[in-house]
Amino acid sequence: MTTFEEAREGRGVDWRRIARRQGWTVGVWLLLLGTIVFYATLIPNFGDFQITSIAKNSLPLVYLAVAQAIIVIAGGIDLAVGAMLVLSNAVAARLMEGQPFAMTIVIAIGVIVFCALLNAGVGWVITVSKVPDIVVTLATLFIISGLALMVLPSPGGGTSEWFRALFTGSTTGSGSNFWPPLLMMAIPVAIAALFMRRTKTGLSLYATGSSPVAAYLSAINTARAKVVSYAIGGAYAALGGLSALAITGSGESRFSTGSNFTLRSVAAVVLGGVALTGGIGSVVGAAAAGIFLYTLSPVLSAMGVDPNTAQVIQGVLIVVVMMVAGIVQLRRERAE
Amino acid sequence: MTSDLGTRLSAGAEDRPNWSSWLADHPLAVLSVVLVALVLVTAVIEPRYLSVGGLRNTVLLAAPLGIMAGAQTILMLTGGIDLSVGMIATAAAYVAANQSPNGAAIAIVTGLLVGLVAGSVNGIGVGVFKVNALIMTLAMSAILLGLFTALSFTVLQGSTTVAPFIKTLGGGSFWGNRIPYNALVWAGVSLVIIFGLKRTGFGRLLYAVGDNPIAVRLAGVRIWQVHIAAYAIAGLLAALAGILLAGRTGAVDLQLAVSFLLPSVAAAVIGGTSIFGGMGTYGGTILGALILGVLATMMTFLDAGQAIQQVVYGSIVLALAWLYARVTRAS
Repeated sequence: MTTFEEAREGRGVDWRRIARRQGWTVGVWLLLLGTIVFYATLIPNFGDFQITSIAKNSLPLVYLAVAQAIIVIAGGIDLAVGAMLVLSNAVAARLMEGQPFAMTIVIAIGVIVFCALLNAGVGWVITVSKVPDIVVTLATLFIISGLALMVLPSPGGGTSEWFRALFTGSTTGSGSNFWPPLLMMAIPVAIAALFMRRTKTGLSLYATGSSPVAAYLSAINTARAKVVSYAIGGAYAALGGLSALAITGSGESRFSTGSNFTLRSVAAVVLGGVALTGGIGSVVGAAAAGIFLYTLSPVLSAMGVDPNTAQVIQGVLIVVVMMVAGIVQLRRERAE
Repeated sequence: MTSDLGTRLSAGAEDRPNWSSWLADHPLAVLSVVLVALVLVTAVIEPRYLSVGGLRNTVLLAAPLGIMAGAQTILMLTGGIDLSVGMIATAAAYVAANQSPNGAAIAIVTGLLVGLVAGSVNGIGVGVFKVNALIMTLAMSAILLGLFTALSFTVLQGSTTVAPFIKTLGGGSFWGNRIPYNALVWAGVSLVIIFGLKRTGFGRLLYAVGDNPIAVRLAGVRIWQVHIAAYAIAGLLAALAGILLAGRTGAVDLQLAVSFLLPSVAAAVIGGTSIFGGMGTYGGTILGALILGVLATMMTFLDAGQAIQQVVYGSIVLALAWLYARVTRAS
């Protein structure tokens, strides 16, 4: 009996370990929860409509944060994820216009595969050329934005009504049915999280990002890991473009949209606890940070802050959060 | 067939190690060749380009970019990066336009002051609070954009043109319309940066911080001070570039220098500055800025539409970075 008790003891939940390893992710989720609760008290009636609005409008950034997180965890950084989102948005809007629902789904899958392959090519170029990720993707940012502009020179295109409902919960893109957007958020994020934590390939991405040399010496194909991370990143960026198409109902390919989205994805990833040096952090944390970054704007506008001041406050908030994190990290290092 | 070619190529490299190692030791020679080649290609596309006026226009385009890329080079040497140079330049141009009625001198000084303050705040964030440089400067960019959009409706309303002296400095030329004044400013800035990086203790410290921060800290250097100084200088250079740009375009708006951000990074990268710190020269960055300037001129001559321009621009940046990596790894 004692052995059984001991075994139970040994398997018991080690809260300290969890706090140390998952503290940041939990913190970001609490921050997000606090922000939403604050938002709920701020406006007179907080209901299904607001939940739907937050869920669907944060979708593109959440997908992009997941894409960036996977690439960063594997030791890279992709400055072109935003451009990839715009490309997927443009291609899908061009092809889906006037098509029935079943066809739009086929096109959506095609676009996701296309973007994954394209970004796998980017990852391949990085491994072959040995040029740093940030430089290669800076160049592909221009190339991919140019391609998007070729596909869709002026805003337009369209999609099917039910494709919009898939991401927004309503065939018109605005409604109070929050289940579709929530599920469309939760399922891809959960798949990415499980892939990263529970599969051999996912763990090889962590290993490669953590220490490429050690990973290589442990018989991990680091070049393959890099290509895989970029391919998955491309797929999630494509998903972001599709969700943006579902939200607005038409496509647009502006260079500034792509670069802004990229910058926000990097902010989300860092805020979500993923270290830009690679190998550390979780997809779930990055996703929470993505929702948080979106949620700030309705909160600030509900507080009566004008959009320009809101932008200043957002910037200051991000810096303050990172400063606090930096100080916490510093104190922890000193304590150890 | 391909592997056959590959072995022959590598055998060729072994046959003439002098040639390939000379190139590896003198990457700037490769860049110069690329620059000349691009100028010649542009001349083929548009024969009138190969004249004093045509080349002058390229330098006029490249000077603000080169100065902004100087800010980027200094920070990349320390292992940092500044994604707020575009907004700092725009902000400085706005303030300079606002102060222009008080005289060009006051306008320039207040404009530069904006850059100094914004850069110092970046430096404090990165150096003291250890905020990641990408995030710190990104947030600074967002803060400045919000701030100056709001201010452009109130205090800065109507501040859209700069003093005549700044216009001459940014867009005018001397010696029979041959040499732009902004090239003169760029030359002065270049001399200071090149001398500063090579010959001063602070310059060597920038390389050291990027190369091995732990060794530098153990040697007794207060790294946070180096960071603040480097970011402040970068802010100053960005502000200078913004003022010159406002002089060249003649009008100030919120989009003034935003499109210069990514080319400023690209110029430093093409010039061989390592994004991880500790390696690079400003001479390379100057060539990088000139190459991008020629490329921009070529695009306008081709009149190819924005989409194709972006694809070609990105492809050439990628090809140059790849070429540079290959050449320098030959040793």
